[in-house]
This record gives sequence, C-alpha cells and structure tokens, in this order.
Amino acid sequence: MKFGKRLKQQVQETLPDWRDKYLSYKELKKLVRLISSAPPFSYGSVEHGMAGAEFVRLLNSEIDKFNTFFMEQEEDYIIRHEELKQRIQKVIDTLGPSGSQPSEAAYKEEMRKIRKNIVNFHGEMVLLENYSNINYTGLAKILKKYDKRTGGLLRLPFIQKVLEQPFFITDLVSKLVKQCEYMIDTVFPVEEEEIMKERRESIRVAGEGIFRNTIAALMTMQEIRRGSSTHSHFSLPPLILPDFDLIQSSQLNSPIPIV
Amino acid sequence: MEARPAFSIQRSGAKQLGNLGVSGVLSSSLPLVPTPLEETCPKLPGSQQSSANTASLLMSQSSSPALLQSTTSSHYINENSASWCPEPLPGFLDFPTNTTIQNNQIESNSCAGVMASEEFGKRNDWQEWADQLITDDDALTTNWNELLADTSVADMEPKMAYQVPKPSSNIPVQHSQVHPQLPSPSAEIRPVLTPTSSANSAPTKSRMRWTPELHEAFVEAVNNLGGSERATPKGVLKLMKVEGLTIYHVKSHLQKYRTARYRPESSEGSSEKRLTSIDEISSLDLKTGIEITEALQLQMEVQKRLHEQLEIQRNLQLRIEEQGRHLQMMFEKQCKSGIDVVKAASSALENPSTLSSDAIQDAPAKTELETAQVDCGKTPTDTIFASPALEEGSQDLNRKHKVSQTETPENSEPYNTDSSLQPAKRSRADA
Repeated sequence: MKFGKRLKQQVQETLPDWRDKYLSYKELKKLVRLISSAPPFSYGSVEHGMAGAEFVRLLNSEIDKFNTFFMEQEEDYIIRHEELKQRIQKVIDTLGPSGSQPSEAAYKEEMRKIRKNIVNFHGEMVLLENYSNINYTGLAKILKKYDKRTGGLLRLPFIQKVLEQPFFITDLVSKLVKQCEYMIDTVFPVEEEEIMKERRESIRVAGEGIFRNTIAALMTMQEIRRGSSTHSHFSLPPLILPDFDLIQSSQLNSPIPIV
Repeated sequence: MEARPAFSIQRSGAKQLGNLGVSGVLSSSLPLVPTPLEETCPKLPGSQQSSANTASLLMSQSSSPALLQSTTSSHYINENSASWCPEPLPGFLDFPTNTTIQNNQIESNSCAGVMASEEFGKRNDWQEWADQLITDDDALTTNWNELLADTSVADMEPKMAYQVPKPSSNIPVQHSQVHPQLPSPSAEIRPVLTPTSSANSAPTKSRMRWTPELHEAFVEAVNNLGGSERATPKGVLKLMKVEGLTIYHVKSHLQKYRTARYRPESSEGSSEKRLTSIDEISSLDLKTGIEITEALQLQMEVQKRLHEQLEIQRNLQLRIEEQGRHLQMMFEKQCKSGIDVVKAASSALENPSTLSSDAIQDAPAKTELETAQVDCGKTPTDTIFASPALEEGSQDLNRKHKVSQTETPENSEPYNTDSSLQPAKRSRADA
C-alpha cells in the first residue's frame, strides 16, 4: 500500500509528459486481488486462469511502454548532448578570447545560458534513471505480491527478464550524465568555499521543475526503502542521505516566485 | 570537414581517468577480472577469447566475427595517453569515457552489451586517429564484424512471450583520409519487437536503440548531404550503411535532429519552460546573477546525489536477483535429492521413539529446502512435500536447528550446499 502511494506521489510530481508512462501499479494490484480471490481449484478456475493471463499480458505491455518511452528519451538525450557540445565549441570559437569575434559580455551571457541548459539537461537524464528504477521497483513488488497471493512462481523468472530490458539498462544515460558533470566541472570550475557559503541562501531561488522533481525523487526513494513489514533478504537497505536536512529544506511545496 | 570535430571530441585524456571517483562504486557489483566478458556472458563459447585477442591487435583485416572484449580498452588507454589537443579550451570536451565505459561494461549484467560495441567503436576511432597522425600512411583499415546476437538471446526463454531479438552490431569500418567513403559506425541495433507483433512484423514496429556512435555517423552522413534541411532519410540511410537500420529509424531520428538543431535553446528551453528551475533574470543584476549560479550549483549537487543513489540502488537490485537466482538453482537441485530424504524422514518420524534423532537428521535437509524457499520468497505450498502436516510440524524444529546443523556432521551431499547457503544468507543480512 505504501509503495502505491509513493508511486502516485512521484507521478504527480514528475514532468508532465511523463505522467502516463509510469507503472500501472494499482491496476496490477487489482488483478492480483482478483486472482487470489478466485480459488484456483474450484469452478472459479476459469476466471483465475483468465485473470492470471491478463496479469501477465498487462505486465508485458507495461514493460513495452517503459521500453518505448525510455529509448525515445534516450535518443533525444543523445542528440541534445551532441548539440550541446557543438554549441559550447561554437561559442568558444566565436565569442571566446581566442575566437573570431571575441566579446566578453556576449561570451559570458552565452555561457550562462549554456550552464543552465547543462544543469537542466543533467537533471532530466537523472530523472529518467529514476523513472527506470521506480518502475523496476514497482514490478518487483507486484510480482512478489502475485507470488505471495497465488502461490505462483512467476517472480523469479520474470524479474530476470526485466533485468535485461532496455529500460532497465541505463548505462548509456548514466554515461551521458557523467559527461555532463565533467563538462560542467571543466567549463565552469567552481570554488569549494563558494558552494558552501551560498548554499542555504540559494535554496529559496529554486522553484518548480526539474530541481523540485529531483528532490521529490530522492525523498521518495528514501521513503520506499524505509523498513517495512515485509522486509526480507530481497529488500534494499534503508537509504542514508548525507545532507539530508539540506535536501529536506529544499523540498518546496509551492513555487516561490522570484522577484 | 565538419566531421573532424565530432571525432576529436571523443578523444579521451588518459590522465583524467582517475577523476571519476564515482565509477569505483559501479564496479563493485561484479569482480574486476581480466576477462570481464566471461563474467557477464557465462554462456559464451570459448572461441571468443581468441578472436577478441585478435581484435585487440586491431590490425586484423578479416571480416570474421570477433567478439567484443573490454580488456582491449586497456591497450587503447595506454596508446592514447599522449592525446593531442587542438581545442582552445584544454580538452574540456575530451571525456574520459574509458573508465566509465569499462566500469559500465563490467557492471552491466546484460550480455547484449549495449555499451560494448559503442566502446569498441570509440576505441577504434582513437586508434585510427593515432595511426593517421603518427604514420600518415594509408590508415590501417580495421574491418571486422562482430556478432553479439546469440549470447543475449540464449538467456531469454520465450516463456513470457516477450522477446528481445538478437542485436546485431558491426564494428566501424574506418577508412583513411584518402578514402572518399564515409566510415560506417559500429551499431548496436536492437530492434525490439513488441510481444503483440509476430516475428514477421513490419519494420515500423521495431524500435531501435541509438548510440552516440550511431548518431555520430548519422551526423556525418547528414553533413555530407548538405545539412539537416537538405538531407533526406533515404540518402542518409544509404550513406550510413548500417545493417539493420531502416528508413523509418532514420526518418524519426532526422526529425528529432532537426528540432534539436534549429532550436537549440528552445529545445532545451521548451522542456525548461514547463520545468524552469530558475527564471531568466536580467544579467545586469549582478547579485541575482550570483544567486542563480549558486542555485544552479545546488541543483547540480542534488542531481548528482540522486544519480549516485540510483546507481547504487540499481546495483543492489541486480545483486539481489542474482543471488535469488543462484539460490533457486540450488533449491531445485536440492529438491531432487531432498525428496528422497523427506520421504525417508516422514516414515521415520511417524515412529515417536526415534523422533528426536530423526528430527535432527531430517531437519537440515528440510532446512535448506526451506531456507531456499524462504529466500526465494515463495510460500511453502509446493506439492513437492507429500505430507504438508509433516512439514509444518518440523518447521519449528528446523528453525531451531538451522544454526546447529552446520555443526552436525551428516551425509555430505545435502549439507555441502547448505553450508554455502548459510554464508550467503549471512552475507546478505550483513549487507
């Protein structure tokens, strides 16, 4: 029950285009209930069988949905990443100090924009990773429920299949994320003290959007991994976030307009 | 040629390898062995090793299937340590992809190695460039194909009616500068068929997974055709010469490309508009400018954190399932031998005088079955046990004897696996 709520929260907070791309956890739970209520070896076995097949069918179509969406986004990210690199190069080549039309003001302005773009791009990719993970978690949970309620052996083989799905293999996105981090660190080197000093003040500047979603995702992750009644060897350990208070204080419930 | 920067961007500075501290986390899931390919693809035949070594020499002209080996990356790292750097900004675009790739390759459990061909393609580029610069002779043509097809499919049973069909990939065919032809990249093409479609479904249904290499080749082709506006899908497809790539793939990709290209700020901006983390503020206001910077830094920090945690979580999940699968295998093995033990035990237990000694004897056998059961998250409703009452009765005994049974010197076979179960169980409990 808790996961369902958490998932719903995540979906609400997520980027608008993504809302219908998440796992239909509730649907699947309904099916599981249906299956377990119709006893397997009685006259209700037909329903039982049908609900079971429906369950698997829905699972497969959900996985399809994830794969399609994920790969679509991934393709976009590849393109955007390359374009970003080109753009940076161009700015350096034209407006930079050794460029064809050096102009410090314009250069700085462009770089400012680029920086924002990189950060948001980075954020979006991380959110896609989060998307992948939360859907995986949901699948794992619902399969566990299924096995528990119906005494079936669906979980293990099915989850093995899921592990090989494109949406779960996030290596490329992860790499792009790291490249962004590298890009930012190189193009915009930052003093350590600066970060520490101004951190708290800058919290109020953050508003909706990617940043907010990221915070939400972190919080959700922590919540989900808190010890539950069904904690087993298959469960993940609780999430310990350093700077937890900082992150928590960054969680804003309403957008703060910047005056 | 515009293509050049695209290639140069991909070069890596070996010095920067050490900067990726995070990557250390990633490789914890699988042990770093000299032959990581074996680790990730246990079902592969042994012939790959030799062919991979051949590939690592790089000079092979044969087009026989050679399998990808991430160990080859080590060669390239050394060779590319003296990287050239014509860009004004000292190699900021040179990303140390080596380490990440290597770790990713190792970390990934998927045999298909989505990253694999891409890495190989990258390394191939560098080697190619190095040679061209150094010798300036005819570029050593590296021309081999690789087949990852069978490996990934072997794992997948059609049980769940969901198939990811064979990915096929080609190593890039690099030609020298003299050569007029375009290089065709390595392509990890994974047309993913939906479960609803039949095996002979139309190409439109297949989904392709793009990689940076593929995209690069795409860009090259587009540029050679006069830019994104003038290039046609058909022309691009022809020029790219990538196996498995259909015109539909190219078409949709071209569309995306055009959008991204001609509205670089708005494409970033459009997604940002709905999701702005910071509104545009006049740059004349310096103080606010600083605030924005700080806010961006904070945002970046948080994002990095989330990314980190997600990676860790993912690795844990992989590991958990791996262990579960391992236990399941052992459990199944045990069932076969355990049935006889149980049957013998059940008849013995009905005799109350021998209850205690027999209980101890059969407890371990049942314990490992039960342990495996519990660990696999299954309820003990298997029909394997002929007498459910017996099982329930001895469950308590089992639990008490769980700890002690490693000490009991019993028949070798059932308990060997059990002792390995125990440590496995404990290690996970500790984790």
